[in-house]
Amino acid sequence: MSILSLTHVNKKYSQAKDFAVNDVSFEVAEGEILALVGESGSGKTTLLRLIAGLEHPDDGVISLSGQVIVEGKKSVPAHERKVGMVFQDYALFPHLTILENIKFGLDKKLPNKDEVAEETLRLVGLKEDFSKYPHQLSGGQQQRVALARAIAPNPKILLMDEPFSNLDTVLKDQVREEIRQIIKKTGITAIFVTHDTRDALSTADRIAILHKGYLQQIDIPKNLYEHPVNAYVANFFGKLNVMMATPTKDGFYTSFGFISDPEASKYHEQVRITFRPEHGEVVQREGQQLIGRIAKASYFGDHQIVKIADSEGKRVSIRTNPGRSFDGQDRAHFFLWKYCIEEAF
Amino acid sequence: MELVKRTYYWWNKWTGYSLLILLLVATPLLTIFFKIFDSPGDSWKHISETLLWGYFQNTVFILIGVAFFTFLLGVSTAWLVSNYEFPGRKYFEWLLILPLSFPGYIMAYTYVGLLSYTGPIQSFLRNNFDITFKGPLIDLMNLPGTIFILSVTLFPYVFLISRTSFLQQSKSLQEASFLLGSNRFQTFFKVALPMARPAIVGGIALASMEVLNDYGTVKYFGVNTFTTGIFRSWFSLGDSTTAIYLAAILMIFVFTILYLESWQRGNRQYASLKGTHKPTVRLEPTKPKQFLYTSICLVIFLVSFLIPFFQILHWVSMTYQKVINQDFFLLIYRSFTLAAITGVVIVILSVILLYTLRLSPFKWIKNITKISTLGYAIPGAVIAVGIMIPFLAFDKWVYNTFLTAKTAGLFLSGTLFALVFAYVVRFMAVGYNPVESGFQKIGIHVNEASRLLGSRSTKTLFKIDLPLIKNSLVSGVLLVFVDVLKELPLTLILRPFNYQTLATKTFDMATNEMIAESSNAALIIILTGIIPIILLNRLINKKIG
Repeated sequence: MSILSLTHVNKKYSQAKDFAVNDVSFEVAEGEILALVGESGSGKTTLLRLIAGLEHPDDGVISLSGQVIVEGKKSVPAHERKVGMVFQDYALFPHLTILENIKFGLDKKLPNKDEVAEETLRLVGLKEDFSKYPHQLSGGQQQRVALARAIAPNPKILLMDEPFSNLDTVLKDQVREEIRQIIKKTGITAIFVTHDTRDALSTADRIAILHKGYLQQIDIPKNLYEHPVNAYVANFFGKLNVMMATPTKDGFYTSFGFISDPEASKYHEQVRITFRPEHGEVVQREGQQLIGRIAKASYFGDHQIVKIADSEGKRVSIRTNPGRSFDGQDRAHFFLWKYCIEEAF
Repeated sequence: MELVKRTYYWWNKWTGYSLLILLLVATPLLTIFFKIFDSPGDSWKHISETLLWGYFQNTVFILIGVAFFTFLLGVSTAWLVSNYEFPGRKYFEWLLILPLSFPGYIMAYTYVGLLSYTGPIQSFLRNNFDITFKGPLIDLMNLPGTIFILSVTLFPYVFLISRTSFLQQSKSLQEASFLLGSNRFQTFFKVALPMARPAIVGGIALASMEVLNDYGTVKYFGVNTFTTGIFRSWFSLGDSTTAIYLAAILMIFVFTILYLESWQRGNRQYASLKGTHKPTVRLEPTKPKQFLYTSICLVIFLVSFLIPFFQILHWVSMTYQKVINQDFFLLIYRSFTLAAITGVVIVILSVILLYTLRLSPFKWIKNITKISTLGYAIPGAVIAVGIMIPFLAFDKWVYNTFLTAKTAGLFLSGTLFALVFAYVVRFMAVGYNPVESGFQKIGIHVNEASRLLGSRSTKTLFKIDLPLIKNSLVSGVLLVFVDVLKELPLTLILRPFNYQTLATKTFDMATNEMIAESSNAALIIILTGIIPIILLNRLINKKIG
């Protein structure tokens, strides 16, 4: 069952030329973790703020657990939405202790507020003295407090703005896993914004890719990586090679040679063949393979990238094992074991 | 789907309050705008034929003169203290701001007293060297004298703002200039000065607003300007329409300056370019040069503050036994209460305006807050006239509709309410700016976090925002407090009958040839004025350092 749904949501800032969020529609299922991924300026943070009620869309409908919270110019104010949010800078109240920060959002009528707050703090793994003030904690600890404060009132949905951006790389891997476990343990639905695809791939159940305010694709990580709907999405998850090809009834002609593929009979116009470096393989033997001039081989420790050029100098990158030597070798044969075909127009 | 309570997102009680504040604050300008279409008063013909050209010439002459001298004094000292190391530099950084605590009119009486026949200089020369002069040593009661007095009290605006600008200029830009073969002198004219220009002109514009606002100095020196013209038509001729006409012309000056200032600023933001904001390492010049720089700063400080300050102390020591009595304490009590009330009201209104903008950052709300703080640019006399006229009309209406002659009285005009109202219009920006920077410093996220945790906007304001900006609120009240204490023209027009504040008492005594006695009240105004200057300087150093 979907807990959050956005329908044709538009948002333009008054000074800006383009829409920050452009006709975005999607749904989030209960208990799901969704990552909003995009470059800066893609509209991902705006989208989060629209859901929170901190910004108002120009157009569109947003509903949360069966209630319409935004429709046209009317909206439910942020304080009535029961939405939890972890800010990028954590936004802890500096004049309140950790415990007071957590209790701030709890219902006034709740009899055992202290207990609930302490329990939540323990859930996020904070063992510090709860009477400390935020500035006495480390960055990682502050983030736990921010998370605890957001989930303590039992919100309908948890929003996180760039939750991992302030952490160093070593801490990041650990925190990603911990946060995922905490969220899954509480069963809360969560949306988080990130510009780092690794955050999204490792933490989210589903990923939505945004570009210039448009939703490009929303799917599970595996599908996004293997079946990107367009080159933008594909490029987002690493290097993507593109080559133009002419279909015949039993294969494609490319500038590197012929690829035999019965699928080709379905196409009539020129197509674009896209593949990732790890989906190609350089081989010794000659035969039914593609061929090109070795332009450059770069060593990366655990792997090697070979750049192969066609007669016009256009290059594709193929990943090989690091032990392989191309010294004194001028040309390379390779084949693709996985690729996508897109109509080129 | 279930329908839940929904409201228009752009409308809440805060936007309502802000509109109300705008309406109130705009009253004086609206009055002048509408009244300008009335037919001219009886004395307009007389004034326009005989005096208007003189008002115009004097006002323009003073404006240009003060702009020139504040630039000269302010920029040169700012450049010295921000680029060179010399004895006393650290102290001059704030000593040179102290003249701001001297209201122009007090500086004027003090200098006239200093240079007069009975003043310390002439007495000294006469008693020790038997040198006598006829009349004052230098006659200040003229246009150049006015320019001198206003320049020495107002140059700190330019000094402060250019010093900040010089300190914020990227270190690497100046270093690049040196490496490209320019010496410090060339760097100043080719890099530092052009980059600081928007800020410097901003400072001069601020000083110009104070020139247009001034009444005490020009009145005492007998120089006729638009401000004295407004007073003359209001008090001596009892002709409100003529006062309005003059106020309208004065406003044209104000808007011209505001326009020129914003035009020259354009979209330039030289100072905030990326780069290290550390000031260039101060150069240690040769000993004779160090001596020269110290002397320049010292002379300017002596003339603009220390000498007149000691003169006032001297007068106080002569007269305090006579002047300081119960009435004097009542005077202090009254002035302080008035200033404190105004400060609190302004800070409350600023919080409302800024909180509205915080919750609903729309362009039209930004414009409301901008217009509401425009009063700093409107001369006190103009605000006074613009408030007095609708208030008098209201009282007349109440009198005619509800009252008999027996119970008649003043409701709005001539009450403390009218006075505080006018102060609020004039000094809104003074309290608004610290509150604004307070809000900016704590950021919007804490507020949003609180609202998302279920607290209404009002509860959030009291539990999160206000406790976090406590210090800014206090400094807002304090800054307004000092300005109100110094204020003269507004107070003179709007005060209740025979109601005296420290400022009006000083003015009255001084104009009645009791300069020495007036210095007691003057000293209190100056001393209170010094407190926020020290605070302000600390703030600037903290921001940059």
